[in-house]
Amino acid sequence: MENTSSDIRQLNEKIHQASAFVDLLTMELGKVIVGQRYMVERLLIGLLAQGHVLLEGVPGLAKTLSIKSLSSAINAKFSRIQFTPDLLPADVIGTMIYNQQKNEFVVRRGPIFANFILADEINRAPAKVQSALLEAMQERQITIGDTTFKLDEPFLVLATQNPIEQEGTYTLPEAQVDRFMLKVVIGYPTKEEEKLIIRQNLNPEASSPIRPIIQPSDIMEARKLVREVYMDEKIEKYILDIVFATRNPEEYKLNKLKPLIAYGGSPRASINLAWAAKAYAFMKRRGYVIPEDVRNVCFDVMRHRVGLTYEAEAENVTSENILSEILNAVEVP
Amino acid sequence: MYKQQVIKRIFLSCLLGLLYPFSLLAQQAVDVTAKADTNSIRIGEQIKLQLTATLTPAQFKDANFKVLFPVLPDSLDHFEVVTRTTLDTLVNQDQHVLHQTFTLTSFDSGHWEIPPMRFEVISGANSTADSAVTLPIGIDVNTVAVDTTKAFKPIKAVQAVPWNIWDYWLYIAIGITIALVGIGIWWYLRSKPKKEPVIKTPTVSPYEIACQELKILKEEKLWQQGDIKQYYTRLTDILRTYFEHQFSIAALEQTSEELLQNIKPVTILNQQRDKLRSLLSIADLAKFAKLQPTADEHEDCMRKTEEILEWTKPKANVVNNPGATATGEKQQA
Repeated sequence: MENTSSDIRQLNEKIHQASAFVDLLTMELGKVIVGQRYMVERLLIGLLAQGHVLLEGVPGLAKTLSIKSLSSAINAKFSRIQFTPDLLPADVIGTMIYNQQKNEFVVRRGPIFANFILADEINRAPAKVQSALLEAMQERQITIGDTTFKLDEPFLVLATQNPIEQEGTYTLPEAQVDRFMLKVVIGYPTKEEEKLIIRQNLNPEASSPIRPIIQPSDIMEARKLVREVYMDEKIEKYILDIVFATRNPEEYKLNKLKPLIAYGGSPRASINLAWAAKAYAFMKRRGYVIPEDVRNVCFDVMRHRVGLTYEAEAENVTSENILSEILNAVEVP
Repeated sequence: MYKQQVIKRIFLSCLLGLLYPFSLLAQQAVDVTAKADTNSIRIGEQIKLQLTATLTPAQFKDANFKVLFPVLPDSLDHFEVVTRTTLDTLVNQDQHVLHQTFTLTSFDSGHWEIPPMRFEVISGANSTADSAVTLPIGIDVNTVAVDTTKAFKPIKAVQAVPWNIWDYWLYIAIGITIALVGIGIWWYLRSKPKKEPVIKTPTVSPYEIACQELKILKEEKLWQQGDIKQYYTRLTDILRTYFEHQFSIAALEQTSEELLQNIKPVTILNQQRDKLRSLLSIADLAKFAKLQPTADEHEDCMRKTEEILEWTKPKANVVNNPGATATGEKQQA
């Protein structure tokens, strides 16, 4: 059914009211997390757009604290899985154990049965464990023995990767990385922020604990509204132009990028870019998507979906450089 | 007495008969010598060793008579063969002299002997082989005498080779040739009649194109026919294209917010910032949120566009040439 002008106006008003919790949530998280607004914003995009987030950053940047605080603020169940080389799929999803009293096998659920999962250092576990988690992320259900369990919604996986250590790690294959809606690269806090972090840690009594602001059901309602956010055909074309420019740069007068790109974004990239743009528009309390929304989420959605050639790596060209070139060349509607 | 004489004659005849073959063999003997040019060298110095075989003319003419010179290996005891000449023949009146010269050196100090050289002599119809041997030659190989009573002397510095201009004649000749060719080219180009620089007269200015496009847009009466989205798309495209050509701002590839940021350095354009912001906001709503602005707003947006064009148009170089195009002309504000 086609949206009319009045529909969009109503939707806009509805979203304007419904999205008020975003600011409250951000404020509540700000009580314990100093800085890292960008990371918190991306977590909320993932939460609202039903996507998972891959975080890349050095240790000690409040990754665990962020997701733990977010789950507390939403009153949701949180669990953390530290990925190690000896981890087994059963350690993540659960297994059947034998009950001697009842003389039967019973299911013991793994830590994945939670709303928010922190998969810490996901690249430290072998491929079979990674794929067990990523399959659960995609299907949102787990099969143990003969029984299939639906995972509770909202279900958000925040996986972390440490970019400075590569030894003894199992790099996520491109197909697996593609399952993450966003790959967020987080940096160090500023001097001022770090000063506040020190003060907060030296005097932990001064900061109040996180209170539940909303319930998981509110997130589910918000997701419905995100789905309704209006995306014009021009925006759809803009998204497609960006994704297609990663595949066929020469069609966008970007011939110089051709030898640098091994493979471009998949259709999943287009889908996730649209979802993330909608979620971002919702967070900005709008009922429609504008090109700014697409550009804002573009780097996080696309950076892990653009494969670089050896030539690009030799010239120290990053996927961010390529995306910048593309965004500067593709016409904005 | 007579009987004694007869017996004596018979005995002498027998003796002569027995010695005759020896006299023949004596005729076949070859005189061979090995001679060194010195019997005392310093370590590493060279010795000329000459091997000589002297033949009688009869021996030389005898097809069955051959003298084979010794074959010296590259290394003898304590001596190294540096060079060797080919076998040479010197013809005198009564003898033929075959000789070969070897250059030897030694790196072992002490008294050493050049061993006897064995010449093979083949003679007679049945190729009887015999050998002739030279005498050994004693050679003293001396080390450099070191005066241990004196102090160590420093290593001598690198000695400068006396400079000679003829060592570099080829380089000088090449340099002179290149210089002459360069002067020739320079002279040729200097004397060549210069083309009059073609002064490209500006064709149609971006301002004029924008005005023309606006005129066409007005005539098409798009908003009056209800095609509001197209009206605003065209209106903003005209303005963005004008900015691109007039101010070299990549306006077509920027979102409204980015454009408002990037016009800041262009003073003349920045003065119209508020107007531009209002215009782009309404246009974005019409394009991406299906907003239906009022007729007054349509007129107002058109008027604002015209005002921005009027304000920012170039003052001097507007040339009226309706038949030409304005691509390529860029003026930095």
